[in-house]
Amino acid sequence: MALLTVSKVEKSFNQNKVLKKIDFQISKGEVIVIIGPSGSGKTTFISSLNFLNKADSGKMTFKDKQINLASPKKDDVLWVRRHIAMVFQNYNLFKNKTAVENITEGLIYGRGLSKEAAFKKAVQELKKVGLEEKKDYYPSQLSGGQKQRIGIARATALQPDIILFDEPTSALDPELVGTVVRDMDKLAQQGQTMIIVTHLMSFARKVATKVLFFDDGQILESGSPDQIFEHPQNKRTQAFLSAIAEDR
Amino acid sequence: MDFHFMVQSLPQLISVVPVTLYISVIAIIIGFIFAALIAIIREKNIKILSPICAFVVSFVRGTPIIVQLYVVYYGLPQFLYFLENSGVNVRPNSLPQIFIAIFAYSINASANLSESIRSAYHSVDHNQYLAALSVGMKPSTGIRRIVIPQLVPNLIPNFSNFFLDLIKDTALVYNIGIVEIMGKSNIIASFGFKYLETYLDALFLYLVICFFFGKILQITESVVRKRVFNKKSRPSRGYEPIRERKVKVEGE
Ligand SMILES: Nc1ncnc2c1ncn2[C@@H]1O[C@H](COP(=O)(O)OP(=O)(O)O)[C@@H](O)[C@H]1O
Ligand SMILES: [Mg+2]
Repeated sequence: MALLTVSKVEKSFNQNKVLKKIDFQISKGEVIVIIGPSGSGKTTFISSLNFLNKADSGKMTFKDKQINLASPKKDDVLWVRRHIAMVFQNYNLFKNKTAVENITEGLIYGRGLSKEAAFKKAVQELKKVGLEEKKDYYPSQLSGGQKQRIGIARATALQPDIILFDEPTSALDPELVGTVVRDMDKLAQQGQTMIIVTHLMSFARKVATKVLFFDDGQILESGSPDQIFEHPQNKRTQAFLSAIAEDR
Repeated sequence: MDFHFMVQSLPQLISVVPVTLYISVIAIIIGFIFAALIAIIREKNIKILSPICAFVVSFVRGTPIIVQLYVVYYGLPQFLYFLENSGVNVRPNSLPQIFIAIFAYSINASANLSESIRSAYHSVDHNQYLAALSVGMKPSTGIRRIVIPQLVPNLIPNFSNFFLDLIKDTALVYNIGIVEIMGKSNIIASFGFKYLETYLDALFLYLVICFFFGKILQITESVVRKRVFNKKSRPSRGYEPIRERKVKVEGE
């Protein structure tokens, strides 16, 4: 039984068709990795799942509730966002909040926890990513890697059904990538359902239950990591993977 | 130069400083409230109201304040007579000049500050708002808790500039018979034929007032900025390398 299904998702910016009738589904516990060239619509697609981007058409079924992607009810949007968290490429930590407040904001104002409960939970989450002693630091005082791990803590604290990751390591200095990857890996081990857009191919191979190759607003190919990385069928997939390999 | 005269007439001028301050402060408060409303209407792009606000704002910003003052001076009483004749008891005869000045300067402040508020709003990274939505905040909560606190420090410098302009612009209200710093100067100057001395006094008073408010608002800005972002001063304009990296593989 799929946890989340979307069908025929379409989106254009002006005349530019960015998503072309995408069908997608994910079940509980799956880790789906999306790869593909930049500009192919990966960000637009995953952010249409929590309505940060509104699709032009398409249908969603999430936890057995049907929602029209183009004209969702306000309450449905809020409900979905309270069950699907997101980790951003540029962290997007709240600049006017400390590390711990970055986590409590969502717990208090999204989940309705009391301040005390939220604070306790937030400190726990910071502990998990080893940043408890940074709890009173502002984002401007943290490194990129620390920011992103707090970004991940902010998402996991909400205990969402699904976490969306949009290139979570792309803005990081190379030496900081490892720590963030370890946090995501741990989450995968714990059975967290995740959708991850990434260029880290070895990481993708390790955590993915399924890999999707995105190109020009479509899913050109999908399969197990083995199928996609060892035996890609589509020429575009092959070209993309070998270009990436050269870049190494 | 008659320094003795300058010193002697200064207290007389100081005695009307409250009039200048009264007009400026009341106008900026009223103006700010309406400016916030206009900014919300325009940013939310509310039907019918938004284009009307846009028109009024560009109209007010595109005309001299002295002309606006005259239009209100001659127009407002007529409007009130019209209301009176339609049966509303507004007593247009008892309309004080100072009320007219405050009315005109409030309109001017609304228009100008609405633009300042909008530009401060746009200075906040839109992703901050999206992040607020992503953790399940309602849009209004995200604006209140994340966007507004971040826009305030960026609003204060423009607010300060405008407020100082407003104080200086009140030097025009003597034209409708209000005796504030400028009005009083005219009276004193022509009485003793000591024009230069009197106007130097006036200059000095405006300078002190503007310096005082400028400093207060500058301190407010840095205190607020520090409270919001925990940073000492405005974001540095120094060199910050833009990091663009294509593909990196874990463990490299
Ligand atoms: N807000 C926007 N306005 C106009 N065009 C956009 C906007 N967001 C994305 N696009 C365009 O949509 C296409 C896909 O973008 P995106 O989803 O960010 O791709 P990816 O994440 O795969 O790099 C790109 O051509 C991009 O220029
Ligand atoms: Mg992207």
